[in-house]
Amino acid sequence: MRDLLLEICGWLAYLERPSVLIQVVLTVLLMLWTLHARLRRWWPQLPLLAYPLLGLALQALMSLGLAALGQPWRLAALLGQLWLGWYGIDLLMPLLKRYLPAARVRQLESRLLRPGYLLFSVVLLINTLDNINDLAVIEVINLMGVPVLAGKVFNAVLVLYLVLVGCGPPAAGLAWVLQKAVGMSDSSRKATELMLRYLVVALGLAGVAVHLGFNANALIAVAGGLSVGLGFGIKEVFSNFVSGLWLLFEGSVRPGEVLMLDGDPCEVRRLGLRATLLWRDRDNAELLIPNQTFFTEAATTYTASDRMRRSQVSVGAAYHHKPETVIALLEATALAVPQVLHAPAPKALLVSYGDSAINYALRFWIANPMDNSSICSAVNQAIWQSFQREGIDIPFPQHVEYAMVWPPERQQPNLGQT
Amino acid sequence: MMGVLAGAMAISSTLQSTRRRRHLSGLLGLLSCLALAGCNTRPPLPRMLFLSISINNDEAIDTRTLDDVRQRMKLLENGFRAVHPRSHFQFNLVPEAQIENLLAQRNQAGLAPDLVFVNGDTALRLLQRGEVDPYPITAQQLRLFRPQAIARLRNSQGQLAGLPVMVRTQLACFNRRRVPQPPTTINELVALSAKGRAIGISIDPINLVWSAGSMGGLRAIHRAAAGQQPTARDLQGLERWLRWLQTSSSQQSITFFTDQPTAMAELEAGRLDWIACDSGSLSRLYLRLGDALGVSPLPRGPGGPASPLNRLRVMALGRNSTPTTRQLALAFGRTSITPQSQRALTLGSQSVLPANRFVQVPVKSSSRLAAMVTSARDGARNSILERLIHGNDPRLPQIQALMTELVFGELPPQHASHQLVSILRHRP
Repeated sequence: MRDLLLEICGWLAYLERPSVLIQVVLTVLLMLWTLHARLRRWWPQLPLLAYPLLGLALQALMSLGLAALGQPWRLAALLGQLWLGWYGIDLLMPLLKRYLPAARVRQLESRLLRPGYLLFSVVLLINTLDNINDLAVIEVINLMGVPVLAGKVFNAVLVLYLVLVGCGPPAAGLAWVLQKAVGMSDSSRKATELMLRYLVVALGLAGVAVHLGFNANALIAVAGGLSVGLGFGIKEVFSNFVSGLWLLFEGSVRPGEVLMLDGDPCEVRRLGLRATLLWRDRDNAELLIPNQTFFTEAATTYTASDRMRRSQVSVGAAYHHKPETVIALLEATALAVPQVLHAPAPKALLVSYGDSAINYALRFWIANPMDNSSICSAVNQAIWQSFQREGIDIPFPQHVEYAMVWPPERQQPNLGQT
Repeated sequence: MMGVLAGAMAISSTLQSTRRRRHLSGLLGLLSCLALAGCNTRPPLPRMLFLSISINNDEAIDTRTLDDVRQRMKLLENGFRAVHPRSHFQFNLVPEAQIENLLAQRNQAGLAPDLVFVNGDTALRLLQRGEVDPYPITAQQLRLFRPQAIARLRNSQGQLAGLPVMVRTQLACFNRRRVPQPPTTINELVALSAKGRAIGISIDPINLVWSAGSMGGLRAIHRAAAGQQPTARDLQGLERWLRWLQTSSSQQSITFFTDQPTAMAELEAGRLDWIACDSGSLSRLYLRLGDALGVSPLPRGPGGPASPLNRLRVMALGRNSTPTTRQLALAFGRTSITPQSQRALTLGSQSVLPANRFVQVPVKSSSRLAAMVTSARDGARNSILERLIHGNDPRLPQIQALMTELVFGELPPQHASHQLVSILRHRP
């Protein structure tokens, strides 16, 4: 590590050379000037994207001027080219937004394009100042007798970053192909995608360890040490991680599943390494529930074997209507509601004889458990309309108020009032 | 109305004068800081010298190469830093074939190294292309080197491309456990292979040319490389060499390799018992083989002694140095050729010979140094070739392709000799 730091600090000595200092200072001043001009909008008629172009044109002129004077110019030209590339990403964004959603473009820019370009620029600059192959073989640290070289560390970090950031789209693509080939459900596809991502990350980690030259014994020793740390320090985190993996393999909590949480149906949006993200329809809330909650506590799901849910509404009909007439009407009414499934067929039941009405229950099946509330509302409305059409009364308890006189002997008959 | 305008102008001028005052005070602050920085009494900053060191084209840049070069540099640095303690060195390794392009780019950027360690022929090419400055050698320094060596480093204007520092030679490297007594002649080498000892020969022309001397093919090569037609007798010697190569390839225990690093790796792994090697690789081989590594001069043959290629390593001056670093670079050059430094370099590395002709090499105390001195003497016969064919010569790949066809039996030696002469005579 010391050698590497000494090497990097040594590059500062190039600034002692006037020719290098002139190129660097002029370029930095031009960049600052362009930034200042853009922030202040010195020329309001110019679009914002035109300011860097102006700076770049001046930079090119400066490089040409230095070359014409027989002075070193290549460093200034390189810095200008790197600046041009950075500016090019600004121009690329609107183009990408035509084909990709804005959120995806932002993600692509901040996670891949900008960091990638920055890395490329740094490598290019280092290779201009020094030989990157020399730096790559400098020993950074010695881990358990294994010398870890700067180049290997760089490659390992790069591969890890690419694996973590870039494995999403290929995993989604492969999961989609598997879904088409095997005919799995959407939630299974999402679970497969997640498992593929974990697999790629795990393989990436193992590959990086092998690339760094760790032998199996060293890795086992590290794992042994980590297990103690896991037992005491980050037990909860590890427990949630293992629970998440288990749930994923078990298939009970997958993206797209519907679970009952505190009496509300919630849809699983994402199964993360630590917590599961649920969406509650009632108030559009997103709930982050630690994975081990599902692992240790009972949960009700409507989507374990299929996505159908049996719903029920209750209604009362007057005593003078024949129950078989009411039951037939209820079942026909349910069938007329579009969201109610025809098979299994809706079933109406006489539940009990109440104080003022005979109580019926109408049971029916729906395809999406998240639509339960809205479909129940639609069925209730349909019942009201069909009862009104068929002249079936929905009785309700009635209250009669008397004006009491004390003593009761003085009470006058209150005829005609109820 | 006029009053409002006058008021607005007054406010505007006040704002402008405030801004101007702020800029002025900023500038004054900056100047004060610079002035104070100039007046302080901190210890002076260290002086950094940037070095580019060329390595053989087939040599990989890895930890072992870096350590090897670092160790050799340390031997030169130690003496110098005793006199210039504030000086520091930062070096990078560059394959010999890439050094011209690298220096051209660095010169254009103002980032060229202060010193360039390269082979003599490369230094001369760099000087001719204006990528390095001529070395201002003193008359006193000139006396330290062989006039022929200095002559080969001068361009047509008589400018010196670099200061000679060390000599690398070609040797025979073998595994002592399998080969207790190294072969001194070609016949002994063939007999060794007949005993089942694994011999490795690289068909890369630079690493193969030693056998041309042993088999009598060197004169024809020299004449052809100089653009002349070899005599019939010279051609016979050339054919004899080529026939020997073809016959050897049919021997079970002699293996031909397309590059030198593969042959070295095989020796390190114990799958080969004898190879021709560069003295610069001795430290690397020693790390793997330890005391089992044996070193001897390359075997002589019916044509005379072997003709290994000696590489004179010189120190050339980069073009972008400041006056201070240039003085420091020249001081480093002066120190590097003193007998003390040259002796320390030779004895410490045991892989290079001194360029200073007045430094005695202790051949009696080190068999390795003795072998290197013999090889350097044998290689002196090859100095013409060194001048005529440089390390990046485009004829080398053509010769290698020809040799490959020859050792695989696809080309008879007679045809191969004519083609070889034809390739060598066409100077690029």
